[in-house]
Amino acid sequence: METISGTLHDKLRDIVGEAGILPETQIAAYTFDNCVPKAVVLPASVREMQDVLRFAAAQHLSVMPAGAGTKLGIGNLPQKVDMVLSTTRLNSVVEYEPADLTVTVEAGIRLAALQAELTKHRQFLPLNPPYADRCTLGGVVATNASGSLRLRHGTARNQVLGMHVVHANGNVVKSGGKVVKNVAGYDLNKLYIGAFGTLGIITEITLKLAPVPIQQVILTTQFQNIQEAVDTGLSIVRSQALPMFTNLFINSRSNLRPNATCISEKTPTLVVGFGGDTETVRWQRNHVQTIMEQNGGTSVTIREGESCQSLQDAMRKFPEVNGTSDDRIIAKVNLKRTDIAEFAQKAITPALQGLIPKIPEETGEMMALLGSGVLYLAIPIASVTDFQPLADTLTQLRQRAMAAQGNLIIEAAPPELKRHIDVWGSVGSMRGLMKQVKAKFDADSLLNPGRFVSSI
Amino acid sequence: MHQKEQLIAELSTLLGPKNVLTDATALAVYECDAAPSFKALPDVVVFADTAQQVSDIVKLANKYNAPFIARGGGTGLSGGMLSVQGGIIIALNRMDRILEIDLENERAVVEPGVVNLLLTQAVQNQGYHYAPDPSSQKACTIGGNIAENSGGPHTLKYGVTSDHVLGLEVVLPDGEIIEFGGTVEETPGYDLRGVLIGSEGTFGIVTKAVVRLTRNPQAYQTALAVFETMDDASNAVSTIIGEGIIPAALEMMDSLVIRALEEAFQFGFPLDAEAILIVELDGIEAGMQNQTDRILEIFKQYTAREVSYAKDEAERQQIWKARKSAFGSFGRLAPNYITQDGVVPRTRLPKVLRRIAEISEKYQIPIANVFHAGDGNIHPIVLFNERDADQCERVEHVNMEILSVCAEVGGTITGEHGIGVEKMDYMPLIFSRADLQVMATVKDIFNPTGLCNPGKIFPTAESYAKLGLQPDTTGRF
Repeated sequence: METISGTLHDKLRDIVGEAGILPETQIAAYTFDNCVPKAVVLPASVREMQDVLRFAAAQHLSVMPAGAGTKLGIGNLPQKVDMVLSTTRLNSVVEYEPADLTVTVEAGIRLAALQAELTKHRQFLPLNPPYADRCTLGGVVATNASGSLRLRHGTARNQVLGMHVVHANGNVVKSGGKVVKNVAGYDLNKLYIGAFGTLGIITEITLKLAPVPIQQVILTTQFQNIQEAVDTGLSIVRSQALPMFTNLFINSRSNLRPNATCISEKTPTLVVGFGGDTETVRWQRNHVQTIMEQNGGTSVTIREGESCQSLQDAMRKFPEVNGTSDDRIIAKVNLKRTDIAEFAQKAITPALQGLIPKIPEETGEMMALLGSGVLYLAIPIASVTDFQPLADTLTQLRQRAMAAQGNLIIEAAPPELKRHIDVWGSVGSMRGLMKQVKAKFDADSLLNPGRFVSSI
Repeated sequence: MHQKEQLIAELSTLLGPKNVLTDATALAVYECDAAPSFKALPDVVVFADTAQQVSDIVKLANKYNAPFIARGGGTGLSGGMLSVQGGIIIALNRMDRILEIDLENERAVVEPGVVNLLLTQAVQNQGYHYAPDPSSQKACTIGGNIAENSGGPHTLKYGVTSDHVLGLEVVLPDGEIIEFGGTVEETPGYDLRGVLIGSEGTFGIVTKAVVRLTRNPQAYQTALAVFETMDDASNAVSTIIGEGIIPAALEMMDSLVIRALEEAFQFGFPLDAEAILIVELDGIEAGMQNQTDRILEIFKQYTAREVSYAKDEAERQQIWKARKSAFGSFGRLAPNYITQDGVVPRTRLPKVLRRIAEISEKYQIPIANVFHAGDGNIHPIVLFNERDADQCERVEHVNMEILSVCAEVGGTITGEHGIGVEKMDYMPLIFSRADLQVMATVKDIFNPTGLCNPGKIFPTAESYAKLGLQPDTTGRF
C-alpha cells in the first residue's frame, strides 16, 4: 500500500510540484465516509489540473473534486477513493468592475475572502450557505449550496452567468458568458451547478452581485404551535414587506448559541429579516411586527446593525456538521411552503410513533426556510447502534415528502446509515437521461464515482 | 421527405383532417416568425390538443423520418421555429389552458400555448403577475418563452424565464413524456430543467409548465428622461447600476426610434432628442422617493433636458405602451429590419453605442436603438430594403461587425432572442469548437436523430468560412 501511494505521490509531484501535494498530516480535512484519499492534489493552474486529470484517466484513478472539503461528506458511499483534487490554490479574482455588478473569480477562492473584497465596494454575493466562513465558491456552486437569502436572491442557479470547467478528459470548456443576460447556445451552467463535480471540475465562475443593503433588521417572535408559526411566516412572505428571509426554528437547542439566544428551545421561533433603505426598513419592521402580533406571536424582539450578522451566521450554521465524527444527521426536505407545517408536525408528533419507528431520543431540531419550502431536520444519533430502523424512518419520511410532490435528501450521515439508504432518493423518469449525461461527460466514471443520484 | 402523403394521411387519422393543414396558402402563415427575413415552408402544420397527441405526432414523425418543430405565438425573433428542412410544424396554440393557480405557493401550472399576458391577467386581481414580460407578451406563449428563455424590460430586477420556471412536462424527441424539475424549488440530480429552458425547441416539446407567480409591487415610480446625447444617457445608466440602485426596468430609445414612434403613434416625444431613458422603480413605497431623487440627481449630472413622471397608473401604462410599441413602428423607417440582441457589460455601453454609430456611418445603413439598457442588452435595429442587393450585402457586414464588437468587449451575441437560424454563423465569435462540441454532445443525448427542430444554433462549415476561420476537419465543427 505504502509503495503504491508512494509511487503515486512521486508521479503527482512531477505534475504539481511539492507544494501541490497536501502533507499527510493535513489530509484529515479531506476524509469522508471513513475513506482516506491516497493523495490530496492542489494544482496551481488550470494546466496542472488538466494534467492531473489526464494522468488519473490514464491510471484509472478516481478523483474527488473539492474546494475546502466542507461538503465532501454529501453523497452516497464512494465506489473508489483514490485522490482528492482541491481547487484552493486557484483562488484569485480574475475580473471585478464594480459598476457592472458582476465578478469573475477562480473557483478556489474562499467565499468569505470574496465577500471581503466585494464589501469594499458596498456589494456582495447574496449567498449565505453553510460553512460560508470556510468554503470555496467552486464548492458552493458545485453543490448548489444555499442559505436563507435564497428567498430574495435565489441560489447559484440564479446567480451564475458563466464558468470554465475541466472535463474528465482534461479538456477545458466554457459555458455561458460574463454578462447578465445570455441565451447564446445551451445553458450548460445549469448542468454543472449542483452536479457535485461528477461532470467536470469548475475552475472559473462569473456571477451577478447585489448592492449591500444600507440597513438590516431582524425580527423574532415565538408561537404556541408550529401551524401558527408557519401560517404567520407565510403571510409575511406573501405580504408587501418583501423579507430577505423567513426562517422557523423548532425544538432548537444545539449549535445556534450563543449568538441566537432569541431562538427559543421550547416554542417555535420565527425569524424574519429585511434589508434596504432606512425608511423602507422602518416600514417593513412596523408592518411585520403588526402581522406577528396579530397572529399570536409573542415576545417580539428587534435586532439591528451588527447583531443581525451574528444571528445570520448562527442560523447559517444550522445544517453544518463536523466531518464524519458528528453526532447528528441532517436531512433536507424540499416541500411546497404550504406543506411544511403538516410535515414538521408529523415528523415530531407522538401520533406518528405508531406509524414509523420512533426516531431515537429527542426527535431533533428543525429549521425551515419557509418562503423557499425547505425544511432541515437534524436528528441526534449519538446513541444509535443499529441504523436500519433510522433508515426505515427516513424512508417513510421521504415517502411522505414525495406524496406531497416533494423530496428528502440526506445531507449529512455516517457511512453506517448510508449502507441502508440512498441519500438522494429517486430522480423519477429523468434517471435515464441523467445516466446518459454522466456517461457522455465522464465515460470511465473517474469523477466522484458512485456518490451522486442513481449510482452516478 | 419520403412518403409525405402517407404521413399526412396518418396525421389526419390521428388528429382529424381539420387539425392538419396542407394547403399552400394555409402553410404560408407558418413559413416565418417575427424575423421575416428568414422563410421556409413546412410540409404540414398540425394542431395538438394534449401531451399524448404531441407524443403520437412525434412518434409518427420518427416513423417517417420527418423533421418536427413546435410553434407557439410565432413571435420569435431568430427564426427558431423555421422548418428549414420541411417537415411538420406542431402548433400548440390550442393547448392554452391554465390548469392550476396556487397563490399560497405563488405557482401556476399552465399549458404551453397560454399567452404570456393572459397568465398575468388571470391573477392580477389577486395582486400577482408572471414576471418575464417580453415586448411581444400580448401574443407570445409561455411555451415559446421557455424554448427561448425569454427576457423583457423587467428582467433587470426579476430575472429571465429560467428563474421563473420550476417544472416541465416534455415530450422528448422520441415521443416519451417525461417530467423535469417539479413543483418544489429543488429536486435531486442534474438540473435538466435548467438545460431544457432556452434550448430553442431542440431538446423536446414542452407540454406543461409549473411557473412562479410574483407579487405585484406595492408601488411604482416610472420616469422618462430626455437626453442631448446617447453618451450622456448611457453614462447615466451605468452610474445608476454602479451606485447599487437596481430599478425594475431601465430602458433606452434613440432618436430614430423616437421619430418612428412619433410618426406612428404621436406619444408627444421631442423629435430633436438624442435619447430617452425610461426608468421604473418598484417595491415598497416607503423610501422609494429617496431612490427616485438619487436617480434624478444622476440624470442632472448627465444633463438630462427634461424628466417627467407618471402621475398615475394610466400614465405609467402610456409610457410602457410607447416602449412596447417601438417594434411596431419600424415599418415607418424602412421596408425591412433586423433586430440585433447583443449584451455587453453595462460600463461598456457608451463605447459600444459609439461603435454602432460608426458602423452605421461606414456602411450607410441606418441603425435605430431601443433596448434594455440596465441589463446592457442592446437591440440595434438594422434598417434596409431587401430588394436592394447592395444594401443586403452591406447589412451582412453591419451584423457581423456589431456582433463582433459585443464579443470583443466581453459580451454575447444574444441576450433574449435566441440563436435560431439568424445567428448560427456568429456562434464561433463567442464559443470555441470544444465548447460547441459539448453542446452538441448534450443535444445528441436529448435529440439523437436530430429530427427535433433541425438546422438551428450550431455553426456550419460555411459559418466558419464567413468568419474567415478554418472549419475543423476532424470534429463536428
